Amino acid sequence: MSMIRRHGLTRLSAASALALVAATAAWAEDVTLTMAVPDWPPTRIMKDLFDQHYKAPSGNTVTLEVDFIPWPDYYTRLNASLTSGEQKYTMAVSDSQWLGAFIEGGFYRQLNDIIDADPEFAATLAGMHPAPFQAYATYPHKSENIYGFPQMPDILVTYARSDVLCHEAEQAAFQERFGEKLPCTVEELDAMDWDMFEKIGQFFQRKAGDNLMGEPLTEDFYGISYQAGKGYDFNTMQINGFIWQYGGNTWDETQAPTGQAEGVVNSPEAVAALEHYLRLLQYMPPVVQTGGMDIFVTDELFREGKTALNVDWIGFAESAINPETSKVADSVVFANMPGLKQEDGSISRWSNIGGQPFVLMTWADETQVKEAVDFVKWWLSPDVQHMFAAQGGQSAIKAVYEDPKYVDYRPWNRTWAAGLDWQKDVWHIPQFFELLVQQQEQFDLAITGQQDAKTTLDNIAAFQQRLLEDAGLIQ
Amino acid sequence: MTVATLPEQPPAGLFAPSWRNWRLALAFAVVAIPLAIVALPAGPAFWASFAAAGLVALTAVVNAWGRYTGGLLVAPAIAVLVMMNIFPLLWSLGLSFFAYRADRQTMNFVALRNYERALTDPVVWDRLTTTALFVVLTVTTQMVIGFLLALLFSKQFPLRRYLLILVLTPMMLSFVAVGAFFRYYYDPSFGLVSQVVNLFADERFVLISTPPGAVAAIVIADAWMWSPFVMLLVLAGLVSVPKHLYEAAAVDRVPAWRRFWFITFPYVKGLLLLALLFRTIEAFKLFDVVFILTDGGQRTETIALYVYRQAIQFNKTSEAAALSYILLFTVIVLTNLYLHLANRRSQGAG
Repeated sequence: MSMIRRHGLTRLSAASALALVAATAAWAEDVTLTMAVPDWPPTRIMKDLFDQHYKAPSGNTVTLEVDFIPWPDYYTRLNASLTSGEQKYTMAVSDSQWLGAFIEGGFYRQLNDIIDADPEFAATLAGMHPAPFQAYATYPHKSENIYGFPQMPDILVTYARSDVLCHEAEQAAFQERFGEKLPCTVEELDAMDWDMFEKIGQFFQRKAGDNLMGEPLTEDFYGISYQAGKGYDFNTMQINGFIWQYGGNTWDETQAPTGQAEGVVNSPEAVAALEHYLRLLQYMPPVVQTGGMDIFVTDELFREGKTALNVDWIGFAESAINPETSKVADSVVFANMPGLKQEDGSISRWSNIGGQPFVLMTWADETQVKEAVDFVKWWLSPDVQHMFAAQGGQSAIKAVYEDPKYVDYRPWNRTWAAGLDWQKDVWHIPQFFELLVQQQEQFDLAITGQQDAKTTLDNIAAFQQRLLEDAGLIQ
Repeated sequence: MTVATLPEQPPAGLFAPSWRNWRLALAFAVVAIPLAIVALPAGPAFWASFAAAGLVALTAVVNAWGRYTGGLLVAPAIAVLVMMNIFPLLWSLGLSFFAYRADRQTMNFVALRNYERALTDPVVWDRLTTTALFVVLTVTTQMVIGFLLALLFSKQFPLRRYLLILVLTPMMLSFVAVGAFFRYYYDPSFGLVSQVVNLFADERFVLISTPPGAVAAIVIADAWMWSPFVMLLVLAGLVSVPKHLYEAAAVDRVPAWRRFWFITFPYVKGLLLLALLFRTIEAFKLFDVVFILTDGGQRTETIALYVYRQAIQFNKTSEAAALSYILLFTVIVLTNLYLHLANRRSQGAG
């Protein structure tokens, strides 16, 4: 081949490559995915991972515009955006209970067609733990209709201060008073039931001037706390766990229209469960008497060093181990949420699942849907799920959380796999907010000492029966 | 007369195609807008209706140009008023006769059923009772404190001006800031109130642990914010009292309470009643402080908070609209009753 011909061929190749690049550039589009999310670490981490690592397989330039909305306002803001018709968001992080309301309203897009056409994606979803998948993805609950994917799955766990619990003098005093060992190691804390939780509450209820760990306290100190707030679902999520552990039940949407509320919601088991939940409140910080002890307040009190144990969502755990935001960062350990000891000695740990799915909106155009699905597939890919977990998030994908290195990412990850098996969810129906607000009000009256457990559950059952009959969900 | 100077305009027939023919544009809009709403999807229907309304406005402006200058000058203000106040009011009034939810696309005419449901709902009456309690307590507290503050600041004393600015500051804060401030103030663990009371008491003091305590917490927060408003109005009345009346009373050795009752009070009575009217209407709408301090807990949910839940959280748009109109009607009746009584008193006094 002569030099001239070789040069000619090189030029031709270069020109072809340039033309290809130019053609690709011409076809590549700028696509923006606008997403409403609650403002907390799991969504902040997601945004950072996207900005740092995401390359759209389509070649398009995809931008993720995230609207971080404070948790207390999140439902109101998203609801207002969707119902106003502004069609601002392509995607959103949605609480699982909102699925029914927003699907029936025509806002959330059904995803079965996309999943059916993509066996790889279907396999990813099949590899999820059924509890978060059913809670986050299906409507009607546990049906075949898929509407969402896990963004941040979450469960309730115990936050504990090892410095307080493992202190020799406290250990000795507890042993002397109760004849039992004060749980100190994570294994001992894992085995803790509500009775031990109560004893710890009694034991560590100290006033300013009393000693804690051999030093006089400057402020009151408390042994235990869990959510008991009137706002949003900040008592229901804890009480549901008690009810299920006692063998009681909430109104079961999967049994509609034959399942009843009367007789179920206010069953003797449910009443015993609520009485147990209420009994423990006397050992908690006094803010519980105001109906204001929500998940944010218990988290703050724990990080301020005012409680020895706190039951809260994993989503707050990152700030508990950060010395900049937590006074107890160097001593915090994590264990399973306590449960109810059964007659056979086992512990029932049923709990209400937390966390949120992603959803796509019905008005997203074809390109946006394709890019959103590619983004979700990337998010659910093992590498990204590992990166998310390494920064404090959680994964619902078995292959990821069963990987031995998963438990080493964060101290609470050791509770994850076992905890998932005990999760249930409630109320994906459109009437969920009316059910929730009335139940929260009634539980709040019980929490603040204005009515007993039986009256509370009778009121809730009567209201739910009436509302669900009107809605045709109970016949 | 001004009218005589207007240029003569040939009377336009209804169907004469002209930029001045606003009647034709209006007739077109009246037909086109409902057609667009029925026949087109929501987006195009909105823009088609917007264009038709714009055409009516344009022809009206062209028609009025050079002839009704005064009307043209106030037209923008009236347009804003219509768009921001009157149209939403009429729209929500219309909605109140339908079964409509913001999260659904269906709308059925139900006549007065939403009103009937609201008026027969025991929860509504319970929230109205709570609201009435707050109206009485907050307004009474504010009137008393505001009046006393005004009496204090009507005198001259060192640092009066600076103290006056400080006292007026709460009124200028946002409701949310006041709510958040008092939330921390009452907090049983960190709050100042608990810390101070605990110096003298053995048990931890939690103000919002009972319904009366929660009511007191809300009344105090609201009074802190709005007593300065009452003070400001009363102070204006106090400084208008002629000094020679007090001098004459002093010469006659009139007792202090008679001086107050026969000299001071008649001068401030009108402004005091005005403050009473404003504060009563506002107290009827009490929302923010309750929302932030108790979220309606401890039986403190007011009717405004209840309407918010129905409209914004439950998406029961038309039911909330009906309830809002019942409240509006109640406030209007109360206001007119008050004005009637005030007029009768002043006429009687005259």
